[in-house]
Amino acid sequence: MAAVRVENLRKTYRYARRKPGLSGLFASEVRHIEAVGGISFAIAERERVAIIGPNGAGKSTTLKMLSGILEPSGGAAEVLGFVPWKQRRALAYGIGVVFGQRSQLWTELPARDSFALLRRIYDVDLDTFRRRQASLVERFGLGDLLDQPVQRLSLGQRMRCEIVASLLHGPALLFLDEPTIGLDITAKAAIRDFIREHAGAEGQTVVLTSHDTRDIELVCDRVIVINEGRIVVDQPTDQLRRLFLGHRLVTLRSAAPRLDIDLPGVKRRASEPHLSVFEVDTGVSRVDVVVQAALALGGIEDITIEDPPMEEVVRAIYDANSAR
Amino acid sequence: MPSTMPIARAEPALFGAVAAAASALGLGIRRNLANWPIMMGRALFYLVAMLVLSALWDKVAAQRLPGTLAHLLPAGGLTLYIGVTEWIALSVAAIHLRLEDDIRFGMLEPHLLRPKSYLVQKLAEAMGDSLGRLIGIGAAAVLALVLSGRAAPSPIAFVYVAVLGIFGTAVGVLLMTLVGLSAFWVRRVLPPYLIMQKALFLLGGLFAPISLYPGWFYHAAIVTPFAATLFVAGDQALAPSLAAFGRGLAAQLVWIVLLSGLIALVWRAGLRKVLREGV
Repeated sequence: MAAVRVENLRKTYRYARRKPGLSGLFASEVRHIEAVGGISFAIAERERVAIIGPNGAGKSTTLKMLSGILEPSGGAAEVLGFVPWKQRRALAYGIGVVFGQRSQLWTELPARDSFALLRRIYDVDLDTFRRRQASLVERFGLGDLLDQPVQRLSLGQRMRCEIVASLLHGPALLFLDEPTIGLDITAKAAIRDFIREHAGAEGQTVVLTSHDTRDIELVCDRVIVINEGRIVVDQPTDQLRRLFLGHRLVTLRSAAPRLDIDLPGVKRRASEPHLSVFEVDTGVSRVDVVVQAALALGGIEDITIEDPPMEEVVRAIYDANSAR
Repeated sequence: MPSTMPIARAEPALFGAVAAAASALGLGIRRNLANWPIMMGRALFYLVAMLVLSALWDKVAAQRLPGTLAHLLPAGGLTLYIGVTEWIALSVAAIHLRLEDDIRFGMLEPHLLRPKSYLVQKLAEAMGDSLGRLIGIGAAAVLALVLSGRAAPSPIAFVYVAVLGIFGTAVGVLLMTLVGLSAFWVRRVLPPYLIMQKALFLLGGLFAPISLYPGWFYHAAIVTPFAATLFVAGDQALAPSLAAFGRGLAAQLVWIVLLSGLIALVWRAGLRKVLREGV
């Protein structure tokens, strides 16, 4: 059974723009911008899917329509058997949402108070609530933090509280919008592990958007790439990883103006003097091998290892798709 | 179906909505307690304002200046009147700012993804916040009255003022809710807020009872929600009476119903806009 079914979903925004000159005082022209241009896909129960794309691609608009807070201009969608924009409140009992950049907690108060109010908002009976809260708090190591005002928590601690808040009512479907944005590596890893394990154990369906390719690789089974409001690629993560996601950028600052590393799967990118950037295909050469080779050259002052920017990954996917 | 499908809800929907609103009201009170330094500052401001205004009105009342309304002022009573109206004015929670933040900066979305009405939850929170303020500033007011050595009104006047103060604050919260909801259409809520504030000063009788106004102006002002917010409670400090209390309470209840209906309509129109156009 599909948890999410989308058919030819479209969204066009219209906005009024004043005409130049004096006539602009009295008249404006209406412009239309197509944010989502007729997408179709289905997500099975228990599936974990990433929706990715560059800024302005239409992924947030798609998520908003699927969660019921934006009406589409055309097409159809069904989420957990509900038409989201017509049955928003009924659907709300079945979905949990985490916004990386927006808090759903009452920041002046301890997370415990927010959780208690959320129990009432979602009509969760007290025993179920206590059991779920205890289990999630233990899993996330939040015991000591529950009684501190949320505004005094670090970003990583707050994000763990946000995720607990979104799971207290036992949603069947979890929407995660940039859940690891701004977090350090340890916090990101903890959140990815938790989402994967929890969704697996509870049989939850996950729909995630992120600019971090590691979120996608480590959490999702499938990736839908959206660009300019259209689906460019819809593939299992394994397949996409082999083609596009298994790359890392290793940046070396060195005393020597130029470094060369001769290893299979390592390409030198356009670099500045004393700053060499290498693209590593991790399927061919491991990053630690590349770093060891660099250190053997001597005179290394700094090393940075990063994922390629999402815009670059999407462009590569898009180019490869267009060439077919 | 997965094991985590929406939990069974044994409680009737109305009970669930009331329980959630009651919980939000409690959260509003707790937030007030958590921000106790702000509460202390508010109480201090109240005391300073009362010190200045009572000195001013005592002077005016003592002079009995010819050709002015001074002869209409009850000796010493105006300080008590202003004590009540200031108590209410400072107790109305700033719900308009919270609504503006949520509507203008996209914070509405997480709330719309919940099964209970965002607006009812926000109103309940604001009422909780206001109740906390009423208690905190009310305690400061009683303390100031005792320390000033002024004659206290009769005990029944305290009961009338307390009841009308609570309902007056509720009317004030609803007025500020309308200001906050204007954020769906205007860039900033400050201009509508300033209009509402001035209307409260003038038609609500914040600094002087509207009964001092010319007859036609008094009759126009008394039927506004602004008078229901401030004047009807303040008037009980001047001349407590069961009949006036009953009339005042009835006016407040009527305004609560009318403003709630208006808010529901405005909210529906604003929500429709957000659901169509996005935040």
